[in-house]
Amino acid sequence: MLQSGFAKYLRDGKGFEGTLIVAAVLYLLVFAAFPLIYTVVMSFQEVDMFTLGTLVRPFAGLQNYTDLFHRPEFAPIVWNTVIFVTLSIAFQLTIGFALALFFLQDFPGSTYVRGLFLAGWILPALVVGAVWRWIFAGDFGVLNYALQSLGLIDGQIYWLSDPAYALYSVIIANIWLGIPFNMILLSVGLAGIPGDVYEAAEMDGANVFQRFLTITLPMMGPTLGAVIALGVIFTLQQFDLVAALTQGGPANASNVAQYWSWQMSFQTYEISGGATVATMMIALVIVVAVIYVRSVQREQSF
Amino acid sequence: MKRYLLLALALLFAAIYLFPVYWMYATALKTSGSIFKYPPELWPSEPLVQVSRVFAEHDIGRYLWNSLLVASGITAITMLLGTGAAYALANARGTKANIALFLVIVLQVLPPSLMVTPLFVAFNHVGLLDYPRTAVVLATAAKTLAFYIVLCRATFTQVPRELKDAALVDGNSHLGAFFLIILPLARNGILITSVLVFLQSFGEYVYSRSFIATRELQTATVNLATYLSANSADWVGLMNYAGIYVAPILIVFILLQRQIVTGLTSGALK
Repeated sequence: MLQSGFAKYLRDGKGFEGTLIVAAVLYLLVFAAFPLIYTVVMSFQEVDMFTLGTLVRPFAGLQNYTDLFHRPEFAPIVWNTVIFVTLSIAFQLTIGFALALFFLQDFPGSTYVRGLFLAGWILPALVVGAVWRWIFAGDFGVLNYALQSLGLIDGQIYWLSDPAYALYSVIIANIWLGIPFNMILLSVGLAGIPGDVYEAAEMDGANVFQRFLTITLPMMGPTLGAVIALGVIFTLQQFDLVAALTQGGPANASNVAQYWSWQMSFQTYEISGGATVATMMIALVIVVAVIYVRSVQREQSF
Repeated sequence: MKRYLLLALALLFAAIYLFPVYWMYATALKTSGSIFKYPPELWPSEPLVQVSRVFAEHDIGRYLWNSLLVASGITAITMLLGTGAAYALANARGTKANIALFLVIVLQVLPPSLMVTPLFVAFNHVGLLDYPRTAVVLATAAKTLAFYIVLCRATFTQVPRELKDAALVDGNSHLGAFFLIILPLARNGILITSVLVFLQSFGEYVYSRSFIATRELQTATVNLATYLSANSADWVGLMNYAGIYVAPILIVFILLQRQIVTGLTSGALK
């Protein structure tokens, strides 16, 4: 009796759809929300190889945080992360926007050729990193050869082993990975701008640049906001490229926070340290995600 | 005329952009002596197919099989839990639904390299690390599930509500309306999103690297990374390995290119 009542509830409107949502949300709570909270907890505990197996660990207060701030590599890695995110996004966005504008023009095969760029998005980042490592190779690399042929550099640049270049190598590869996604999202935004607005401006005598500045940019505002927020989120997720190219080296020259956190937990077994970096970074990502969701909601309402 | 000039320019841009992919395959066809020529040969002068040698030498089949297993598991869990939730969230209105959707979007953005520390400690507690591939599947599915729900929800919002109402009037249960009316209509969107999830999972690295300690159970990404740091001069072998690995991904991409672009663009910003 009770069972058939439950079965009816499941087949019935609210019960059916509610169950579907609850199942997925439950999974996300167990495998995403719980670890999230657990990281925060561990950042206030003493966690090492000895206390790893126990649930109750000594409370450390803010000790993990102060320890972290006093590490000599803390400031350089934070700075690297800022440069990594800023430059990656600036170039992904500019190149992606330029390509989106280019492919907006009417010519045969434009959609198909534009789609080819997505190959870069779909390839595993680790494999992309392996290929770029070969392109960046100091003595026999094709990038050095190309730059020399163009007369831009004289000698060889040791992209991955020279501390002055290592971070920028990872950034270049990351820009490559991010271009297609930026381009496609911005193309969608551009397609949403009604054509008659441009025609009216053209009749009023506005030239290409005036039209870009007074119509395209303002109308693209919400899209740009969403794309930048997504860019920050994706760039802070980038781990595979660092692993394939430099492993954060030489001497942390190309290390970024998300890789450092993993290194502490899995290579030097300073799990408290890893959890503390993770906590701060996750807080940052969530703030950006909230900005993203809000900017998307604003876009939908207009 | 101008239109064909633009096409030529577009092809030039695409060629420059896709150069790394070309370089991977060009290097794979070179001999181990000729890759150390400077200036480099842009086209392999004496192409040599070494795929089967590299495939056997590095036991690539085993690692690709592991990647395939992991990716299939992730895709199965994601589709099973995600499809219904995406449908329900596309219908639902109100605060509870908004909170659920917000939770899904926020949980989607958490970087795996930061989530892996607590997951490792928790999995260690409950003994899941004895089944490392299952651990990878469970952890990764949490990430792909959120991505899948966001994209599929967009597909379901495009199915007209009236069709479901008509099915209910005809005496279908909500369960019946979902399986008989809504699912067939949303089939294409669901399949494309699943393919995307599968392709992403096929290249998963962070969790596999951190959870799988046994060499025999490694996925191809982890194995390739190990090879990369151990034999960093064997570029012919490495590029063959990379080329074999991404070949199925590229084939699926070329076949489904148009649908993938549409699928991404319809859901990504909503």
